[in-house]
Amino acid sequence: MTLVERLKRFTREPLVHFLAAGALIFAVWGGGGDAADRSITVSEVQVRGLTEQWEQQWHRQPTPAEVDGLIRDRIKDEVYYREAVRLGLDKDDIIMRRRMRSKMEFLVAAQAENEIPSDAALQAWLDAHRRNYATDPILSFDQIYVAGDRHRAQSVLAQLNRGADPAALASLLSVPPTVDDAPAAEIDRQFGDGFAKAIAALPPGRWTGPVASGFGQHLVRLRKLTPGAVQPLSAVRKAVENDWREANRIGRENAAYQALLDGYTIRIAKP
Amino acid sequence: MKLPRKMPLTLGIALLGLAACNRTGVVDGKTDTEIKLAAYPERVYWGDTHLHTSNSVDAFAFGAKLGPEDALRFARGEEVTATGGLKAKLDRPLDFLVIADHSGGLGATQALYDAPRLFLRDPTLRRWHDSMHEGPQGRLKVTAELIDLAGRNALPAALSDPEGQKKRTAKIWTTHSSIVERYNEPGKFTAFIGFEYTLMPRGDNLHRVVVFRDGKARTDTVLPYDPGQGDAPVSKLWDYMDAYQKATGGQVLAIPHNSNVSNGLMFEMVGPGGGPMTAAYARRRAAHEPLVEATQIKGDSEAHPFLSPNDEFADFGKAGWDIGNLTMQRATTPDMQAGNYVREALKRGLAIEARTGVNPYKFGLIGSTDSHTGLATGDENNFFGKHSGVEPSAARASAPQNLGNTAGRFGWQYLAGGYAGVWARGNSRSAIFDAMLRKETYATTGPRMTVRFFGGWNFGADALQGDWVKAAYAAGVPMGGDLNGSAAGVKGAPKFIVSALKDPIGANLDRVQIVKGWIDAGGKLHERVFNVVWSSPETRKLTGDRLPPVGDTVDIATASYKNTIGAPQLATVWTDPEFDPAQKAFYYVRVLEIPTPRWVLFDVLRYKAKLLPGTRLKDQERAYTSPIWYHPQG
Repeated sequence: MTLVERLKRFTREPLVHFLAAGALIFAVWGGGGDAADRSITVSEVQVRGLTEQWEQQWHRQPTPAEVDGLIRDRIKDEVYYREAVRLGLDKDDIIMRRRMRSKMEFLVAAQAENEIPSDAALQAWLDAHRRNYATDPILSFDQIYVAGDRHRAQSVLAQLNRGADPAALASLLSVPPTVDDAPAAEIDRQFGDGFAKAIAALPPGRWTGPVASGFGQHLVRLRKLTPGAVQPLSAVRKAVENDWREANRIGRENAAYQALLDGYTIRIAKP
Repeated sequence: MKLPRKMPLTLGIALLGLAACNRTGVVDGKTDTEIKLAAYPERVYWGDTHLHTSNSVDAFAFGAKLGPEDALRFARGEEVTATGGLKAKLDRPLDFLVIADHSGGLGATQALYDAPRLFLRDPTLRRWHDSMHEGPQGRLKVTAELIDLAGRNALPAALSDPEGQKKRTAKIWTTHSSIVERYNEPGKFTAFIGFEYTLMPRGDNLHRVVVFRDGKARTDTVLPYDPGQGDAPVSKLWDYMDAYQKATGGQVLAIPHNSNVSNGLMFEMVGPGGGPMTAAYARRRAAHEPLVEATQIKGDSEAHPFLSPNDEFADFGKAGWDIGNLTMQRATTPDMQAGNYVREALKRGLAIEARTGVNPYKFGLIGSTDSHTGLATGDENNFFGKHSGVEPSAARASAPQNLGNTAGRFGWQYLAGGYAGVWARGNSRSAIFDAMLRKETYATTGPRMTVRFFGGWNFGADALQGDWVKAAYAAGVPMGGDLNGSAAGVKGAPKFIVSALKDPIGANLDRVQIVKGWIDAGGKLHERVFNVVWSSPETRKLTGDRLPPVGDTVDIATASYKNTIGAPQLATVWTDPEFDPAQKAFYYVRVLEIPTPRWVLFDVLRYKAKLLPGTRLKDQERAYTSPIWYHPQG
């Protein structure tokens, strides 16, 4: 492993991102804000920042006196902040705590969201979650709707098995009497949850049932059942990438927190 | 500035990390043009055209943590964690989704929340920033103030600062469109790019959802249009839409919503400035706004008992919403009601057409949620609330819901939200958008009933037998269509085929009605609601236009009902007994379910919620189709 590879690998560690981003923020905003440090430097960059903010608000340049005012206020902020921290005023402040937590979470999330997966990572994800990306079972069947209860449906079934015309025995319902090559989800969408699964379990080639849908009782003749098939990455890449991304984001957030948590000893006393 | 000694190295690593992220995501799957379209619409596609995420200024302030990605994942059927911490998964995924975040201040409250406090000079913004960090109560207060100030044209300058806002908007808009593209899978799930235009002079709701037919390549060339505060005319939105279409060759449409809280401004008889509406103005309105959202969480806008005293079902979703405009800054007076409701607008359209030759209110109907939680929930048993401040809890049903005002609207008056049913030839942006343009759509208050509606003169005796849908398309026009009384072969009254199938996992149907509106020779407007087919016809007989009620199987204690009354399907071929070939008219279908428990009862069951006296516990949920218009001459 070359140094560059090591470095790259190192940069994939959530904790490193966390610390690096934290350091970056510190570098930009911190401005030497160590509470123990008794010197305050207001840099050119900071003065420019203050001036720009002022311009956005008032739509004109601040006068030199106004710039001095901004700087004085900035120093006042800093002095009070440091003294407040010294006195521990940040410790019991719910707003402060929530704010600090949300900043930390934001840092982690921003890092995780930018990650682009490699083909190998996506393939590994697909291999581990094949069932999520398999095609639905495909079914072809005929059905008639029979108004009334199961008992009546059974007597109609007997007639069908004696060779009666299904169309003549069907009660009116606007669902297709003949379904060809429909995915299970599509069938459930039309007939109600679980209908496709119930049909898939039927002996094929003859009228049978009754099977309950969301509407009532149906008699069904299963003609063809093609089980769901596992899909190659190329066919489901978009969905896999979206899911990988989401899981990765959550995973990294958890890992970053865990890494920090690991540095602590936790004791809980429940009343 | 003093840096720790190790800084250059860590900085370098951070930058390396960022550089590695610049590769764009791989897009695969089918494009719109590769989807095989059916010869005619064979199935209805379900969606929500009106969902807000944390990018909406009010949604974020209300506490919503769920962004567009969570919203899309949820709509497609994945499990997400709602803002309040509950796990949420839609039992039946949707087919399409329009995330319609407010263009006004897009991302502004999030920016305010995330801003270093140091930079917030404006005392109001600073106070809001602090309040939002205090938690839910603070957020609620901020949102109420925000909406109120927006209605009064008094937002802090920094929030409406055009340059800062433009930059922020551009970033959010293009990031958003990238996410939408990642989830748009023609043939499986359609993710539209869109936004909400939030015009609200003095709190009168003139909002529209704007939907693009196109992908990121085109929509990234514009920013979502923000009318700002005050009185910008709606025609400015149409100018924006025209400019977009001209510059990109793309297509875009607008869907008005919550006319019920517009204080009469949504469907006016007059044009801008108060003079009679011109033909040119009417034409523009009809061309840009082919659909109206008739029902959603903030009430139902189909009809009102004040306007339709003979319609015993017109009171659905009116309580609380009909007393004032959106922000309750102004009370609603009776003279305003006619401009607030869809049925009246369809009638007014006929009157304006009689005068100018053009019908500005020739629109189709859809329902949607307007949820501000990132969760497109439309059912009574999964109502996640109008916004994240009122996600499921014991208190929400009885809590006052005042946006910036102290007058009374209460939690229970929210509806659980509606959905849009679209008869498209396939599931893709182009197929669904084109179906919307031809108004082949219907609104439901949540349940997914399948409703067909055709008009024509040449339906045979077997109009509901066998492969009748195919035949109906060949011999007539579907919902949203036009019947021409002077066409060749026209004789007598047209026939209407209507078929309603219950939601396969929902309640049985009570009845199917056809609502007719027409204009007489003297220019007077009329309406009548016909019961055309109903359950248990052997025991329920018509008296005038009234039927005995279907009954009621709701068990309050268990928030449940039984399908022992009603019918799974109602279908018939109907002819208007009063048909006058010389009168312009429209016909639309209203389907009513049997009574079912409202979301408040699930709150009682799950959270032991205490309800206020007068809380509505059950309702007959419904569907409204787009009309079919009859014209004596073409």
